[in-house]
Amino acid sequence: MTQLDQWLTQATAKLSSDSAAQVRAEISEHYESARNAALVKGASTEEAGRSAIAALGNAKTANCQYRRVLLTSAEAKILRQGQRETGAICARPWLKAVLLVLPAAALWSSAVLFLRGSNDLARTLLVGGLTLLVAFGVPFLPIYTASRARIFRWTKYVMLAATFAFVFGKDAMMWTWLLSCTVWPIFWIEWTRNTIRRKLPVANWPRHLYL
Amino acid sequence: MHSNSRYTLNFKGTLPTLILEAIAHEPTHGYRIAQQIKERSQGVLDFKEGTLYPALHKLENDGQVESYESVENGRPRRYYRITKSGRKMLATDRAEWRQLSHAVTAILGEA
Repeated sequence: MTQLDQWLTQATAKLSSDSAAQVRAEISEHYESARNAALVKGASTEEAGRSAIAALGNAKTANCQYRRVLLTSAEAKILRQGQRETGAICARPWLKAVLLVLPAAALWSSAVLFLRGSNDLARTLLVGGLTLLVAFGVPFLPIYTASRARIFRWTKYVMLAATFAFVFGKDAMMWTWLLSCTVWPIFWIEWTRNTIRRKLPVANWPRHLYL
Repeated sequence: MHSNSRYTLNFKGTLPTLILEAIAHEPTHGYRIAQQIKERSQGVLDFKEGTLYPALHKLENDGQVESYESVENGRPRRYYRITKSGRKMLATDRAEWRQLSHAVTAILGEA
């Protein structure tokens, strides 16, 4: 293994395969230029290679910085999962229909129950219907700009909090342990998606990254 | 180049601005950007070249820089060019730097 290979192995640790390939290409290109420049100045082949590696600096420091701007393997996995889920919904028209019918049915039933005077049940169905609409109605919403995506995401978070508050009412504070246990995977995925959004130019965002 | 570490400035925060300045006139590749910064600062602004590319990727993610493949001496190379938003950022940074520089000079005096 050459010195450059060792440097690259450290610098690309935990990066996704695409990111690692990109780093390998740009650093190899840079190394070659630095090495050639040193050879032109009269350095021996060995010295030229050594000085080119020294100029690159510490590989672990570079790795930390690369992981802040390029996709890591964990982030790439979440991105792929999201693409698979979106693909699964888009490929099945009946599933799309079900996702739209469920919240619509809940909202319609809520309206009927309000008219009949069953306010408690109607309120439950209203909250449930709105939550389902935010969760399932997504494929039908015209969200394809970064600002609309931001508004949608905040609406989603508020709806989740409101549903929790509504379901547990005055006891909401007592059930925070349940909330923390159930919400942390969602929170972690949202956090990772936010990181991915920062790392990808908006033009390259897949559809599900807007949501 | 100054070998004394006292002169090897830690200019992490200003590296993106220096990169934008280096590509403001014409698109160029990573190695040339690094050399330009070192040459134009006469070696005072020394930095590890492995940290240049993460800064370039950040600028690209933020839309201030665009990259494209081109062939130089038969070798494919990635070139970087400044965008309109990058030029705006460079102008802002330049104005802020002048203000800061004037303020520090006012306190320390001219060299």
